[in-house]
Amino acid sequence: MAMDKITFRRILKWGFLNFFRNGVVSAATVLVISLSIFMIGSVIVGSAFLSGIISSLEEKVDISAYFKTGAPEEQILALKKDLEALPEVRAVKYISADEALAAFRERHIGDEAILQSLEVVGANPFSSSLEIKAHDSSKYDAISKFLEKGSYGGILDADSSGQKKITYRQNQFVIDRLSSLLSTSRRIGFAVSLILAVIALMVAYSTVRLAIYNSRDEISVMQLVGASRAFIRGPFLVEGIIHGIIASFFTLALLYPAFWLMGNKTSALFGGVNVFQYFLSNILQIFFILLVAGVLLGVLSAYIAIRRYLKV
Amino acid sequence: MIIPNPLIYFDKVSKVYSPTSIALEDVSFTIAPNEFISVVGQSGAGKSTLLKLLLAEDRPTSGKVFFESSDIHAASREELPFIRRRMGVVFQDYRLLPQKTAYENVAFALEAGGKEDDDIKHDVPQVLELVGLMDKSWHFPHELSGGEKQRVAIARAIVSRPDVVIADEPTGNLDPLNTLEIIRLLEKVNDLGTTVILATHDKEIINSLKRRVVTLEKGKLVRDEQRGRYVL
Ligand SMILES: Nc1ncnc2c1ncn2[C@@H]1O[C@H](COP(=O)(O)OP(=O)(O)OP(=O)(O)O)[C@@H](O)[C@H]1O
Ligand SMILES: [Mg+2]
Repeated sequence: MAMDKITFRRILKWGFLNFFRNGVVSAATVLVISLSIFMIGSVIVGSAFLSGIISSLEEKVDISAYFKTGAPEEQILALKKDLEALPEVRAVKYISADEALAAFRERHIGDEAILQSLEVVGANPFSSSLEIKAHDSSKYDAISKFLEKGSYGGILDADSSGQKKITYRQNQFVIDRLSSLLSTSRRIGFAVSLILAVIALMVAYSTVRLAIYNSRDEISVMQLVGASRAFIRGPFLVEGIIHGIIASFFTLALLYPAFWLMGNKTSALFGGVNVFQYFLSNILQIFFILLVAGVLLGVLSAYIAIRRYLKV
Repeated sequence: MIIPNPLIYFDKVSKVYSPTSIALEDVSFTIAPNEFISVVGQSGAGKSTLLKLLLAEDRPTSGKVFFESSDIHAASREELPFIRRRMGVVFQDYRLLPQKTAYENVAFALEAGGKEDDDIKHDVPQVLELVGLMDKSWHFPHELSGGEKQRVAIARAIVSRPDVVIADEPTGNLDPLNTLEIIRLLEKVNDLGTTVILATHDKEIINSLKRRVVTLEKGKLVRDEQRGRYVL
């Protein structure tokens, strides 16, 4: 039987009236749903922010291979091609000795002492190099080995002990540490989000269930008076929607100062990367997610909880 | 006794909760339209169980309960509300909806039945007038005395003009004066053409009513008299 307009209007009316008459219970339910979606919201913003930091750190990692002065450019470009063919490699950039010198000049513009010392050297003291970025930081070891073992050993610059000039070897420790740190923080972040979300869902569902459990006698009276299941269930679902909507506004109002406080701390820590900025620039999407999560939580909890009391 | 067109027919109904608790055993009787029938018996005799089966709150272990010609327990979940709208219920503990005012409690029965707003606005005050609670329409149940609550319950039970009003010890929690008023109300309801089924173990009530009395004893129907007296 399709629901007629008059029934729908009455369901809405009772949903609203019950919400206000339930006073304390409504407030408590809104609070618990708010806490749940607060967790969900912070997890979403937090993990988006974390993965932003991780990517920007990964972006900073690269290795450079330096070539002997006078190494023929076509060989270097051939090596670049070979490197680009490797599945681990994301990008390779060729920096000629002239470009390196120009970049150095650029960086030290105005610093007379250093620029003067360049004049003293006369010839270009920089070697040409390839700057290599991998898809992820665990791949640098393999790339480095490829460079050392490959047939290009002859053009690579080496220090007095025969060690090839590949920056990975120099920064190996830092890169390895960073790479394992990043992948663990990704994994931990995911696990923590999942656990928090599950706890949030369970707590919210339990609260709604308790409220409906308190109405079980009323529900059976309504059935005895001849109310259909839809007519009994409807107002509870409307209440659930109201709970969710209020909770999402309330949560947004809580997240704002929370991220503002955190924003000051994080920008000091990570230099420029600010959670609050991220929060502000995505505030509409975040509110939308909170709204959907809150309303779903309110309605689904009510729907599932009321089922067992509609048995007769 | 054979009634040509019974409103309600209990056909060899038994209800066994457990081997040690047999609430009803092979109970058969019929109720005619417009009858005022009292079900009496000691505590635990099975009165409430009988009424519960009629309301389809519970299923019989064996036997059938017919309302007009349809088996109540064969009704689907969707059909049941329609059957229940033709029955009005009154309980010892009132069972009003605590979050709704007296007016809303009565109106709820009509809203649930999909009645038009205009009809509700017309019928509810009329019924509240009948039970003498017009001035307390906007009180919540906790703001009403026991007798007043029961009168609201009766108003709710009769507002949709049901075929039968089922009252399970409606005076159990009331003082003699309120008891008398509630019984007078039920008699009035019956006079207006509604079947009334009253479960009670109040001797005074039975003896003053002088109507049909069905006596249950340990789940068995032991007596069915047209102008019954309370004999136990
Ligand atoms: N849900 C139940 N589970 C088990 N036994 C039950 C249940 N409900 C009732 N009984 C048993 O069925 C029997 C009849 O109970 P019922 O409530 O019908 O009696 P009653 O005549 O209404 O008594 P009272 O006058 O005290 O209200 C009792 O022995 C009772 O213990
Ligand atoms: Mg009883």
